[in-house]
Amino acid sequence: MTDRQTVRRWLSGLALALVALTVVAGLAFPDSIAGTLLSLTTSGSTVSSALRLSVPIVFAALGGIFAEKSGVINIGLEGLLIISAFVGVAVTETLGPNGTTFAVGNIWFGFFAGVLASTLLALLFAVVCIEFRADQIIAGLAVWLIALGLAPFAAKVLYGRPNTPGVGIFANWSIPVLSGTPYFGEVLFDASPTVFMMLVAVPLAWYVLNRTSFGAWVRASGENPKALDTAGVNVSRVRYTAVLLSGVLSGIGGAALTLGTGTGNFVGGATVNGRGFIAIVAYLFGNYNPFGAFGASFMFAGLNALQLRLQQAGLGVPERLIQTIPYVTVIVVLALVGRTRTPEAAGDHYESGEE
Amino acid sequence: MSARDRGRAVLARLVDASIVERFVISLAALALSIVVGAVIVLVAGWSATCSAPATSFGVPLTVFGDPICYDPVGVYVTLFTGAFGNVLARPTNFNVALTLQETSLLVFTGLSVAVAFRSGLFNIGTQGQLVLGALASALTVLGVAPHVPAGIVGAAIAVPVGLLVGGLFGGLYGAIPGALKAYADANEVITTIMFNFVATNLAFVAVSEYFQASGSQVVQTEKIPAFARIQPFGFPSGSGFSLLALALGLALAVGLWLLLERTALGYDLRTTGAQPKAAEYGGVNAERTVITSMFVSGAFGGIGGAVWVLMVMGSYQIGIPSLGFDGITVSILAGNNPLGVPVAALLFGILKSGSLAVEFAGSVPHELAGVLRGLIILFVAMPEFFRLLGRRFSLGEGKPGPAAPTGGESE
Repeated sequence: MTDRQTVRRWLSGLALALVALTVVAGLAFPDSIAGTLLSLTTSGSTVSSALRLSVPIVFAALGGIFAEKSGVINIGLEGLLIISAFVGVAVTETLGPNGTTFAVGNIWFGFFAGVLASTLLALLFAVVCIEFRADQIIAGLAVWLIALGLAPFAAKVLYGRPNTPGVGIFANWSIPVLSGTPYFGEVLFDASPTVFMMLVAVPLAWYVLNRTSFGAWVRASGENPKALDTAGVNVSRVRYTAVLLSGVLSGIGGAALTLGTGTGNFVGGATVNGRGFIAIVAYLFGNYNPFGAFGASFMFAGLNALQLRLQQAGLGVPERLIQTIPYVTVIVVLALVGRTRTPEAAGDHYESGEE
Repeated sequence: MSARDRGRAVLARLVDASIVERFVISLAALALSIVVGAVIVLVAGWSATCSAPATSFGVPLTVFGDPICYDPVGVYVTLFTGAFGNVLARPTNFNVALTLQETSLLVFTGLSVAVAFRSGLFNIGTQGQLVLGALASALTVLGVAPHVPAGIVGAAIAVPVGLLVGGLFGGLYGAIPGALKAYADANEVITTIMFNFVATNLAFVAVSEYFQASGSQVVQTEKIPAFARIQPFGFPSGSGFSLLALALGLALAVGLWLLLERTALGYDLRTTGAQPKAAEYGGVNAERTVITSMFVSGAFGGIGGAVWVLMVMGSYQIGIPSLGFDGITVSILAGNNPLGVPVAALLFGILKSGSLAVEFAGSVPHELAGVLRGLIILFVAMPEFFRLLGRRFSLGEGKPGPAAPTGGESE
């Protein structure tokens, strides 16, 4: 294990050195590739777009942390993202994209409907894993495949094609005075409501996990369910709660993906496109720490934002080749970090002694 | 009797004991998926808009006056009959050809997933291995074809070479996540999924930048000359199916079964899957076994890709259907048994061809097949549910089942 820590330290050092080198080269030669890269990376619009792109990954990763910490590996995060991304758009579209109901924008009803759909799918996953002792990996794959089939199916039933029409996205929340500050105003204080939710959710998740008795139960349920059981806490109930929480969080992520970025439409398989799996890598890389997961997600999303910028900048590299950068990064990171120490009882069914 | 033989006997008994139960569970999962699928069809039919409600057994279907546009029973009837067309009058009609085409392709991808599963690995990357195998095979045959005599002799050279190269590239591409798993402990579920995205993008760039067919609107390679493809043996040309491919798939299924059950390598693979610690203690080189397993798995996927190119498309074209993902379902439904794979593949062949017939008949979108695929996996993953049901209605012995991962023998 120390071996891995050394690798991780070296990796971080190497990354820092690379960044430093790019910054120096970019400052010295503004017209070089490094210069272009530097100005692209640090431009306020790239950073704010990276924040927006990291929202779905961060929420799915937070959900994955709770589930896996409690002992249930939820590999179906991708499916949860897909279902809420779709339902969010479909419900908003049905209610009327620009209208309001009870003085609340319909887009918010769509958002919560997406969260609800994801939570219900997570409930199904929880019942199958906890009640019927299904293999968690296979059940997680099933959740992914069900959502992968159901969303385009439903879109085709409703709209006659696997994509939905665009319903628009949340208007930015602009914080008075602060949004006027140079750079930070653009990046932090004039952003989509989903970005603010994320900035609240990350510390909150850390607090719940590490400073509350529920968090302690979740961790015990994944590390030593027997002890938790002996202490008189119902392991199944803790795991149910944790998996449902992963449904709620991934639901926020999925709905934020369609209703917080782009044009607010759902495009068959292309919308979610592996973000759920990237989220898993993000929390593994972040070692189950919500802040670490946020950092890793931000890095992946940053690569994605940069990738989009590079395409616009037109460096003559084929677009699809640039698109592979985030995926390759995931593989490299995973290979260098390897399997972090998973919770002791993760993946195992727990049968309470008493019937 | 050596220790190894004794171990083999124990394993064989275990497999025999559970094989009937697995079969029953697969059937029950299938039945339950059909029922849940019918409910989904009803709900979808209620949400869809249509001028007149569908009728089931002569009764128009409505809920609170709202028409239901699809008749679930009719959907399944069309699905099943549509998969075979007018099979009595013309056994080699196009519907049968499409069903068997999908069946043979799924035999390859199903075997690909099964061999990895049996050694305790989740190869979700069959799709990517298939994509690269297909591309490599197409390019090789395009290169070979001008140098061999056109006709049967040329086919006898070009087709096997294409299949071999497809298998080799698929295998090598599968061995990469295998090596990452073996030496860096990188979770193969995640890496293989990422490698799928990478393969699709790489193939796209390779074709669009370097091998694009001139004058084509679609991103694809040049067409392979007709003689260098898999001949439509027994079926009309243009049907996209050849009994030769199905025969190859069946032969490979038997071959894989023999490899797993009757050879030392197979024994190593299976024990690594079932009891990794015991296998290592027994002298199995775990790293090499993981890589070998992923190579074999990827090779099956690559051969599937080669068959897709040489039998169905005649060129490499982007937008390959999700044969690799369907292979996961096929393998899980078959209990990861190579001999069960062709049966499960036939079932999904029917589902594919039948769901297209259903959509063609103006009913439910063919994406229904994707939903059923997920449901089947979900239900196969929860054997305990069916055991509980069985005990409730006192069917079978009703012994409490172990909390075993029945879908994949992995841990």
